[in-house]
Amino acid sequence: MDTQPGPRIGKIVSSNSHIDYVCQVYGPREYDPLPAPDDYAFGSFVAIQADDGRAPAGRLVGVIYNTLLVNPDYGNLGPRLSPRQDLTVFSPDYLSETATLVGVMALGWIDAAGQVSQGAPALAATINAPVRRLSDKEVCDFHRGADGRLRLHYLPLLMAQSDPLIAPLLLTIVDRLRDLFPDQRQRLAVMRNNLAWKQVVRPAG
Amino acid sequence: MTTHLIGTVKGPGETPSEFTVIAPDPERVVKHGEFVYYNARVDGRERRILGRISARRAVKLYPDAFMADPGVPPAEIGALLGYDAGADELFELTVTVLGYYSEMLGDFINPRVLPAGGSPIYIADNGLLAEVLSKRKQGEVGSAAIGSLLSREAGAVPVALDVRGFTSTHLAIIASTGSGKSYLAGVLLEEMMRPYNRAAVLIVDPHGEYDTLQEMQNRPEFAEGDYKPRVRIFKPDAIRVRIDTLTLADLRYLLPNLSEKMHYQLTRAYNYANRSFRKGYTLEQLLLSVRETAEGNKGGEEGDAFEDDPTTGALIWRMKSALGNSRIFNDFENLELSELFAPGQCTVIQLSEVDRREQQVIAATLLRRVYQARVDTEKKKAAKGDPNHVPFPVFCLLEEAHNYAPANADAVSSDVLKTILSEGRKFGVSIGLISQRPGKLDADVLSQCMTQCIMRITNPIDQNRIAESVESVGRDLLKELPSLSKGQVIVSGASVNTPVLLRVRSRITTHGGESIDAPAQWRAWFDDDRAAADARDAALPLSRDLNEDEDGDVLFA
Repeated sequence: MDTQPGPRIGKIVSSNSHIDYVCQVYGPREYDPLPAPDDYAFGSFVAIQADDGRAPAGRLVGVIYNTLLVNPDYGNLGPRLSPRQDLTVFSPDYLSETATLVGVMALGWIDAAGQVSQGAPALAATINAPVRRLSDKEVCDFHRGADGRLRLHYLPLLMAQSDPLIAPLLLTIVDRLRDLFPDQRQRLAVMRNNLAWKQVVRPAG
Repeated sequence: MTTHLIGTVKGPGETPSEFTVIAPDPERVVKHGEFVYYNARVDGRERRILGRISARRAVKLYPDAFMADPGVPPAEIGALLGYDAGADELFELTVTVLGYYSEMLGDFINPRVLPAGGSPIYIADNGLLAEVLSKRKQGEVGSAAIGSLLSREAGAVPVALDVRGFTSTHLAIIASTGSGKSYLAGVLLEEMMRPYNRAAVLIVDPHGEYDTLQEMQNRPEFAEGDYKPRVRIFKPDAIRVRIDTLTLADLRYLLPNLSEKMHYQLTRAYNYANRSFRKGYTLEQLLLSVRETAEGNKGGEEGDAFEDDPTTGALIWRMKSALGNSRIFNDFENLELSELFAPGQCTVIQLSEVDRREQQVIAATLLRRVYQARVDTEKKKAAKGDPNHVPFPVFCLLEEAHNYAPANADAVSSDVLKTILSEGRKFGVSIGLISQRPGKLDADVLSQCMTQCIMRITNPIDQNRIAESVESVGRDLLKELPSLSKGQVIVSGASVNTPVLLRVRSRITTHGGESIDAPAQWRAWFDDDRAAADARDAALPLSRDLNEDEDGDVLFA
């Protein structure tokens, strides 16, 4: 289990709702080191650093539920004056218009004191707030209540979303937690079976 | 089977004493009718509240389309799609609460509080069930261990009927033919004759199925110290009913097609005979009474002249025909109660080849006499030495009981049966009815039997009659009736703590009521060279030289 804070992957650029944010993954020359595709994979838990003027600040915890590739050049079939490799020299702005956007669903909040609360967070993220991946330890801490028991209080919030990717997201989350909480496997198996029955078997019939 | 968790309470059921449980049951242990329990605090004590599963419904079923190919299990399709959970099925069980067993009251007490949703439900272990289902322990005085709980392995949970229960409030064994009712009756009789019960039993046996009970006399299982049971069998030709024990109703029943006038004259003659011959009368004396009380008789001479009166003549002719020609009705001989009843004695009255009406009269007479004797003995009217002195309770088992108390028909035995069924408890006379046609049995009679052993019944009329008359068996158990196998019985009522589904134990003595194996017998006809044997049997004796004396007399062959 890794305990080091995870790498930064990008910044918040937009939002669709109080809990649904769009994060732009850092491109070349924006941040060093560049995030690897694994860092912003589907179902990864991330922290959105809040900027509430206090130090240390709290952070939103979210999960990556969607990925979008932005490429303004797509569909532009006209002639290009410079070869693509020359663009890095002559027109770097043009290259930066391509981006990878990931959708982040906020699942809870860790305040400055480290207190975890799951569910819709009270505060919203801000534009350009940095987003980083959570380490396994942080994921465990986020899912462990004050009594030390596993809790998934944000699940109803997720299930209420109409996005078709929510169903596989739930299964991915449960599978991830099954690895992180080996002592909770029995409970998580009940949960997973139930989700799989509703989302795999029933729709297939 | 060890105690283990089988499910979780979902919530209340349809009735106040039902709740529903969700159980995966991968080992298929939670059968219909199985006993389960939950823990609850009642009056400050932790109690196990027992309940019975009365319905079972699957709640998680694969879509029908997954079963399009019988060669491909639906679980495989599920696994194909990413659903590979091991436990596929989930059941919703309806549990009917019986309550906790109170040793003080010897019964189940319903706490009237259903378990909270989410409470764990356990399957009851064999030890607990053996303790709480039977009123008596196996082998105890007053116990009749007739079998073991069907939902568990054979013999794992023995269930003993309380003999005191059915010998005070009567017993009914109801089953269609071939489902093992005589076998069950045999087991029950064996238990009653065991050293710990030593009952006084009379069996009215119209088919001669119970003579194998004689084996009890020589089996070590039935002997203890000086005791061994006695089995007396009265073949039809040994059965005697003394004419003066017949009541007016019996006479009317035996004499066919009596006119109003004959009825009237019979009544007069009967009363006259009872007044004139206080110490009993013979058929001749009864006939004399008929003549004496004839309308035309002015106290003149006796003689055939009175038979000129057509009523008298016809009545006398009928009486002679019904009673005079019978080998059963007799002037002097009677089956004495002291011969028929004794503790530790099982008496079988075989009525095979006896006319139906005569069977009814014999049964009615016997029942009436023993009932009267018990009443007299209990009320101190009959002292020791009196033929009516029967100083112990008796149990009478009637096979083909629908013949003795038919529904929608009149039988001379109905009244006495009803009397005993309603009043017999006070005087220690109890009845066991065995019938394959409960639909033909009088509903009042059936409903008076407080212990019921019900075996497979497929006829809907019979099922309805049981549902009407037997209130102690729940609807859920009655639904089992058509699907019961041979030797499986639902026992309910006064002799068990709760209705139970049992597997009847094996008999110690051989069973006498086996059906004839016709194909085997036909085949055997050819096996042992029957033709040669027949030819030998039919052959004429060999002619021999005879030694004769001079006169032609044979000296020796």
